[in-house]
Amino acid sequence: MSDDINRSAPVEWSLRAYLLLTFAFVFAPIAASFVFSFNVDRFPSLPLGGFSLTWYQQVAADPLVWEGLRNTLVAGITVSVLATALGFGAAYTDFRYNFFGKSLYLALALLPPTIPVVILGLAMLAFLANIGLSGAIHSVIIAHVVMCAPFAMAIIRLRLSQMDPSLEAAAWNLGASQWVAMRHVIIPFCRPAIFAALFITMAVSFDEFAVSWFVSGLNETLPVKVLGFLQGQVSPKINVIGTFVFLTSMTLVILAQILLMKRGTGGKAGQ
Amino acid sequence: MSDLSSSSGTRRHFLKGATTLAGGVLATPFLSRRAFAQPVELTMLAWYGHAEPDVVAAFEAEHNVKFKPKYYTGGDNMLGLIAQSPPGTFDVILSDAEYVQQLNAAGYIEELDPEDYHFNEYFPEFQQFPGHWQDGKLFSVLTRFGFLGVAYNTDALTEAEASSYNVYWSEKLTGKVGHFDWHLPNLGQISLLQGNPSPYDIDEDAWDALQEKMMTLRPQIGGFFDYGGTFSSLQNGQMLAMAGIGDWITGTLEKNGAKVRSVIPEEGGLQWTESFSIGKGSAKADLAKQWIQYITSAQGQVKSATMAAYPALIPNRAGWELLATEDPAEAKRQGMVLDDPNNAVEMIRKGRIQYRQLPVQQSLEDWNDFWSDYKGA
Amino acid sequence: MRKTVSVYGLTLSMPMLLWQLIFFLAPLIFLIALSFWTVRNFRMEPDFNPGNWSRMLGRSVFWEAYFRTLLLSASAAIVTSALAFPASYAIAFKLSDTARRWAIFLMVIPFFTSYLVRVYSWQIFLSDNGIINAALGYVGLGPWPMLNSTFGTMIGYLTLSLPLVVLLQLFSLIFVDRTLVEAAHNLRCGRLRTVFEVVVPAARVGLTIAALFCFILTFGDFVSPLYLGGGDPPTLSILITDTTKSGQQWPRAAVVALVMIATLLVIAFAAVRFAYKERGR
Repeated sequence: MSDDINRSAPVEWSLRAYLLLTFAFVFAPIAASFVFSFNVDRFPSLPLGGFSLTWYQQVAADPLVWEGLRNTLVAGITVSVLATALGFGAAYTDFRYNFFGKSLYLALALLPPTIPVVILGLAMLAFLANIGLSGAIHSVIIAHVVMCAPFAMAIIRLRLSQMDPSLEAAAWNLGASQWVAMRHVIIPFCRPAIFAALFITMAVSFDEFAVSWFVSGLNETLPVKVLGFLQGQVSPKINVIGTFVFLTSMTLVILAQILLMKRGTGGKAGQ
Repeated sequence: MSDLSSSSGTRRHFLKGATTLAGGVLATPFLSRRAFAQPVELTMLAWYGHAEPDVVAAFEAEHNVKFKPKYYTGGDNMLGLIAQSPPGTFDVILSDAEYVQQLNAAGYIEELDPEDYHFNEYFPEFQQFPGHWQDGKLFSVLTRFGFLGVAYNTDALTEAEASSYNVYWSEKLTGKVGHFDWHLPNLGQISLLQGNPSPYDIDEDAWDALQEKMMTLRPQIGGFFDYGGTFSSLQNGQMLAMAGIGDWITGTLEKNGAKVRSVIPEEGGLQWTESFSIGKGSAKADLAKQWIQYITSAQGQVKSATMAAYPALIPNRAGWELLATEDPAEAKRQGMVLDDPNNAVEMIRKGRIQYRQLPVQQSLEDWNDFWSDYKGA
Repeated sequence: MRKTVSVYGLTLSMPMLLWQLIFFLAPLIFLIALSFWTVRNFRMEPDFNPGNWSRMLGRSVFWEAYFRTLLLSASAAIVTSALAFPASYAIAFKLSDTARRWAIFLMVIPFFTSYLVRVYSWQIFLSDNGIINAALGYVGLGPWPMLNSTFGTMIGYLTLSLPLVVLLQLFSLIFVDRTLVEAAHNLRCGRLRTVFEVVVPAARVGLTIAALFCFILTFGDFVSPLYLGGGDPPTLSILITDTTKSGQQWPRAAVVALVMIATLLVIAFAAVRFAYKERGR
């Protein structure tokens, strides 16, 4: 960009400073949580009581927490793949086709996030219990796909709106079948959105506690455990689990970044 | 349970903990080969803490049982969960007395045989506790109880000042009074202030007067809090007084060094009660019964009274005796010393405590609707 | 555009439809039916009782909470979008490729941390004896009450939606045609004017969708109003939980939920239509 008139150092720097401030705001509670997870006092207060690893020990020794983490990971990964696949199909349908009942189709696809989670939890439990699919991890997966697919759809639809529709037509004219055009034109174009959808749906599932409380029954996920702690036993164990989850997901995201960079094309930021 | 001493030996502790964990992991294959039978799983639906090791470990070891808890955060979520879950999902259910009536009316709990339980060891007041019996049949066994009064910050108020519900209106507490977000205990407290002998059994005039009085308190209120919020607000001093709670919260905070206390004011206090029942359709009813027998026996009662999640008073007299020998400081702190003329049971006998229960002459909805209006005011 | 039904088209469109039909439609219908049920003896009984609707919609508390929540969420959407824009603009236009990748990476991380834990941690900062007031105390400024107020709730809403809004805005901003910007600059268009007249319209889709997501998320959230707002005054989400405390009054709670759903649906459709106004973009 060679527009000297409009580049000005103070503006550049204040924008960067603002960005830093934004990151500070977003990470402040995470940092505080990390610090307080080592606090010997049971309740957070200033000044800090003293350094202690007791809460980490307690959490690590609790088999239910590990089970919760496993459930959360299994559910999260399954949900993200399923939801992104469903969302992709729906976004493409909206982008390309016009048909009778399209509004209804879209409404059904976009409705779930609008429903207050406590009520949705009860309704899903009622339904799943009646068909014998409640109280297990697959219940969480089913409910979460329902809730996350709309997110995936919205993100991919956003990306598709940036595509010139004649690109696809051009591919057809050059003799590509619809499937081939999909594989070689649409999907590569949508790749950043697909990855974004995978991550965001996994993140939503990772953190969802309200519906999970109802449908997971006795096989709880980690966020349900956190809710339980928050509502039943306030202690730095909450901060410890928060840190656990943070580190686990950081690892996942770093892995994903490495995978992306290995593939050569520039990840989500690529054009 | 947990060692809170920090500085000396943290590293030792960590290493010890890590080695134990590693050792445990490595030893597991040996253990499982040795185990004769897999422990039987017993599901429990309860408030947080009732299936933690400090309460259940002894029972689990003796009967080769493993508890699988489902902790709820409110009686209504609990009922919703049971209503929609397949029957027999929950073997043992812990609930507040008010919910026992609801559980029973909806048919979610089994009938029990009073002969099976230690009622003969109970104080007479608790042997036929209302709400747990229906037409002479027993459905739920009273396990623990506690009192609700004025919870206050000891730096901000003296015990004398806090000994009346009128303190909520005190000028120095404007914006610093909080409500535990449930209508029942809060309205009950103000009902006691109004002088109603039976705070939940009031006629239309008294109900109107109660609502009026309550509304005058609204400007003093800083917020409505759930369990976690109540802890934080009292602990960090955001709220200097909290209505609708008692020692079950302040006792836990006190143990961790916070400067809070609960006191039963002169107008009287309320009593909450928790009891265990057996879920209808449970496949392990016998084992569930054994659990209830244990937790209502003297040893189990002591564990219940000193539960790490939140302390409570116990209805078993033999339990009081055992507690006085095992943990005399806690017995004294909670008021469970038999000789003390001001112990918990004496307070009930003197009429200073009224049971918290569902409203009698109005519907629960009326009370709850008013509470919503009050919050939105 | 082809209008004939093809295997290709069906394979792409059907899975979502089938999944939602099987796993979502039934609970949704159950919810609607539930709003007409009666509660007798603390047990929900199937019924066709419009009384729940008339009772709930007739209460002033409901409408106050409704408009209050509407206002709060709209404010949250506007405030978050406004606060996010300089950040997403900076990431999209002012950073090198590597820096941008790291910035996105950092923005994604908070997603994966528990929202509950983050809100709980904010109390340490915002309480009267908390970190911020302690710092203010150092410079002699009085304690500012931040907790248990609308301000607290807003901070919570920001915590919930800021990362998502930044990312969604970013998504559109990254793909804004740079030649447009260059052209504007060549025509002697000032910085600010370029932003408002070239960049923003070009990124309209992302900006609208971001604001919409923020609105939807905050409209139904009960964690922030409860833990940072002190439940005072109550929002619709809090009203739902409160209604169930009337002795299993899930039917009345369902009424509130359905009104919320209808509202969000209308707003979502309007927003999406506005975002994708010109067909084919």
